[in-house]
Formats: sequence, C-alpha cells, structure tokens
Amino acid sequence: MIVRTPPTSPPLSRPARPPVLLVALSVLLVLFLVLPTAALLARGLTPTLLPTLASPAVLDALRVSLVTTLTTLALTVALGTPVAFLLARYRFPGSTVLDTLLDLPVVLPPVVAGVGLLLTFGRTGLLGAPLELAGISVAFSPLAVVLAQLFTSAPFYVRAAKAGFLAVDRDVEAAALTDGASRWAAFWLVTWPLAFPFLLEGLVLCWARALGEFGATILFAGSLQGQTRTVTLAIYSALESDLAPALVLSTVMVVVAFGLLLTVRLLASRHPSS
Amino acid sequence: MTPPPLKSALGALLLCALSVSSVAGAERLTVFAAASLTDAFSELGRAFDARTGHTTTFQFAGSQTLRTQLQNGARADVFASANSAQFTPLVQAGLIGPGQNFVRNRLTVIAPKNSPRVGTLADLVRPGLKLVIADAAVPAGEYTRRMLAAIDRAGTYGPDFSALFLKNVVSQEPNVRQVALKVQLGEADAAVVYSTDVTPALKESVRVVPLPSRFNQTAAYPIGVVDRAGSPQAARSFVQYVLSAQGQKIMRKWGFLSPQ
Repeated sequence: MIVRTPPTSPPLSRPARPPVLLVALSVLLVLFLVLPTAALLARGLTPTLLPTLASPAVLDALRVSLVTTLTTLALTVALGTPVAFLLARYRFPGSTVLDTLLDLPVVLPPVVAGVGLLLTFGRTGLLGAPLELAGISVAFSPLAVVLAQLFTSAPFYVRAAKAGFLAVDRDVEAAALTDGASRWAAFWLVTWPLAFPFLLEGLVLCWARALGEFGATILFAGSLQGQTRTVTLAIYSALESDLAPALVLSTVMVVVAFGLLLTVRLLASRHPSS
Repeated sequence: MTPPPLKSALGALLLCALSVSSVAGAERLTVFAAASLTDAFSELGRAFDARTGHTTTFQFAGSQTLRTQLQNGARADVFASANSAQFTPLVQAGLIGPGQNFVRNRLTVIAPKNSPRVGTLADLVRPGLKLVIADAAVPAGEYTRRMLAAIDRAGTYGPDFSALFLKNVVSQEPNVRQVALKVQLGEADAAVVYSTDVTPALKESVRVVPLPSRFNQTAAYPIGVVDRAGSPQAARSFVQYVLSAQGQKIMRKWGFLSPQ
C-alpha cells in the first residue's frame, strides 16, 4: 500500500537528493560524450596548430567548405522559405504528403542520398543527357558538393521556418493588411521579422548539417583538394597519410560546432514558444 | 553384414564425430586486405574455411586505411597490403611479423565501354577530360604516380604529360575499387586501376585502354601475421594457404601474377 502525500510545492531549503544509480549512469554517458571531444582538443591544441592551419591542405579544405556551405545556405533560404510559408499557411491536396517528403532526407542515410543524386544528375543518370547537351557537368564539381549538402541539409531549415511561420500571430498580419499594406509588404514588414528567430535557428542547424556532410559528397562529388575536398573529406584523407592536418581540422570543427550550438541555444532562449 | 539401421546410425555417429573434430580446432579469423583483393580473397577465404573449418571474415579497404586502423589498435590476425609502403611501417613498429610477397599486379587504364572519348594514352591529356585516380596515400595511387613519372621520363607523349594528366583529374579516391566504380557508372572518362580490377562484373561496362608495358608498374603485395593476433595458429595457416598451390591457383584465376 502506497501512501500518497498530497503534492506540495518543492521545498525551498534543500532539494531531495537524486538516486545514486541515476547519477552514476548519467555520469557514464556524459563522460562518454565529452571524453572524445576533450581528447581531440588535447591532441589538436598544440603549438603546431597555427603552422599546420596555414598549410595548403587545411586552407583548401576550409575554403571549399566555406564556399560550398554558404552557397548551400543561400539556395536554402531562397528555395526553402517559400515552401515553408506555403506549408504553414495553405492547405492543398497533397500538402501532408509534401510535408513528409520534405522530411525524408533528414532520416535518409547520406550515402543513399549520394546514390540518388548520382542516378539523377550523373552522366548516365536521369537528367544526364539533357545536362550534357547544355554543357553542364555536375558530378565531381563544387556544384555536386552543393547539391549533396542542399539535399541533406535544406529540410532542417524548412522545418524550422515552417514552425516560425506557424508561430506568427495571424491577427497581426490581418491588422497590417486592413491598414492597407499589400500582402508582400505585410510579409516583409510583419511576418518575416516575427518568424526571424526560428528562421535563424533553422539556418544554423542547416549549416551544421552541411558542414558535416560526408557520405553523399564522397560518392557524388568525389574528393579533390581545392575543388571538392571539404573539411570532412580532408580529415578522412589526411588521417591516412599525415595526422597533423586531420587533428587541426577536427579541432576547428569542434570549435565551430560549439559556436553553432551556442548560437542555437541563445536563439531558442529568445523565443518562448519552443 | 550389419543391418541397415545400425549402418546408418554408425554413419551418423561418424558424421557427428567429423563435424565435432572440425569445430574443435575452429577459430575466428579476421583478415585485413587491400581493396583490390576483394574478389580473389573472398573466394580464397571460402575455400580456406571449407578446408580448415575456421571462420574467416575480411575487411577490404585502401591499404593505407587498414594500416591506420592497425596502428590505432584495430584487432586483426592477418594483414595483406598492396604495397610495402603501407606494410613496412607496421613491421618496424613491431605490430606485425615480417611480410612475404604473395602476388604481383599490374596497372591498367580503363574507360567506359560506350564512350569514344579515350582511345589511346595520348587522349588522356586532352583538355576537358575527366580522370579519376586513387589518392597518393593509396598504393594504387602511388603506382599511378610512378607510371606518370615513367611516361614523363620517356618523353614520348611530351615533357608535361603528367602535369596535363593531373590537371584532368577530378577526384582522388580513398581506394582503388572506388576509382573503378566511377568509370563503371560512366561518370569518369578514364581511370587508372589494377588489371585485376577489371573483373568479369566490370568487363560488361568498361574497356581497357592500351598501356605500353615500359610505363607499367609492378605492384608487389606483402602478407603477414599480426603480432598480437587472437588466432595465431589460424592466421599462420591462412598465410600458408595463400602461398600454397591451391591458394595461388585462385589468385591466378582472378588475374594476379606469381610473387616472383
């Protein structure tokens, strides 16, 4: 027989001590998650960091990653924002299916995405012949890197943006419209600024995913220093010849990842609904 | 004359005894092998398992990947590399016993079967062509660069053949099978792989571009038992089997040359 005490407000003096087992198990997982990062930083943050950072292999990888991911972000915003807005505002036949389809790349293994991209944009792929006629060759080019990132990362932005547009109070929009604003002006002056924290959060998540992209890239874009060898591909390649660039790039990625995470946290704390 | 039931019972007992005896000495064996050995070693492994009752599992990857893994404490019993550059450092570090060469291999240039772009070696440096080779750390990539140096030295195709060739390279892959795949898919106009990589499966979609033998390189494959092997007995017998007449016959079938 269990005697239930009526719920009281938590005591202000001393909180109840959590069970030892729970604490032990939590510590185990936390250690497991933190140790590899710590080991990485311990090996990476050495006096040789800066000279290695200036080596061509490292600089090329950082440049390729920066250029391709920023292009991916621009394309994501340009193409993802309208889709997110439509999905948030309108019900149309097949909108649920479209919603699900847009989430598919999130759960699809990246290497499968790479195979799909090859079968679509490759020379012998679905669009291979027309692209060839137009003089566009996609595979093994920086464009292929961008497409691989776009496929795997854009859904993260679309999801966040859709949530942002759903969170905007429709009455505020309606008020702007009755005050004589055009629909475009209402969007530009009211909806977009209100949804902005969500959009930014989605953008940061999308960027993190694009930076980490590996499987689709190596299959669809190949690996060539200064052209398609992104940071992740450069780490993979350097691990097998010269460890120093791999460690430096890994350290850079840890710092960037932490920065992105911090940004998302700060953004999330700014809008109360999530 | 023993009655039939007894006969079959005896037979069953005998079968049991046989299978038990083979299981008694059965060990699990892990072999790290160069990607180019994929087909040959898979068949050889099945034959070896059937003979000895051991269970052999393979990990095929670029030799440089396997070396890195072994240096970082990966557990394996046997290592077979496609060059000594990825093998000798492990011997020097005391991680692996002395190696012995068990096969040799040669390079070949392949192109997609239905693409007319590449007919001869000279076509490889035409501007706008897409070539794929293995990364410099991969044995196949190292042999490819030696081949290019040999062509430059000969001067037959001009003094800057390798510079123009490398300008056409659109990807440097982490193992030789990935290189072959890019031609098989028709994405690359030509690639440098081993002659053994033109397997029956690949023959349907690629053709071989003639490579004068004076430019070709000979790859020597060392094999050795890992020092802290979990199954040293089985590891040694695997190496012996690879060097034996039956093992060598399977290697020849897949196009590998004798070690000497």
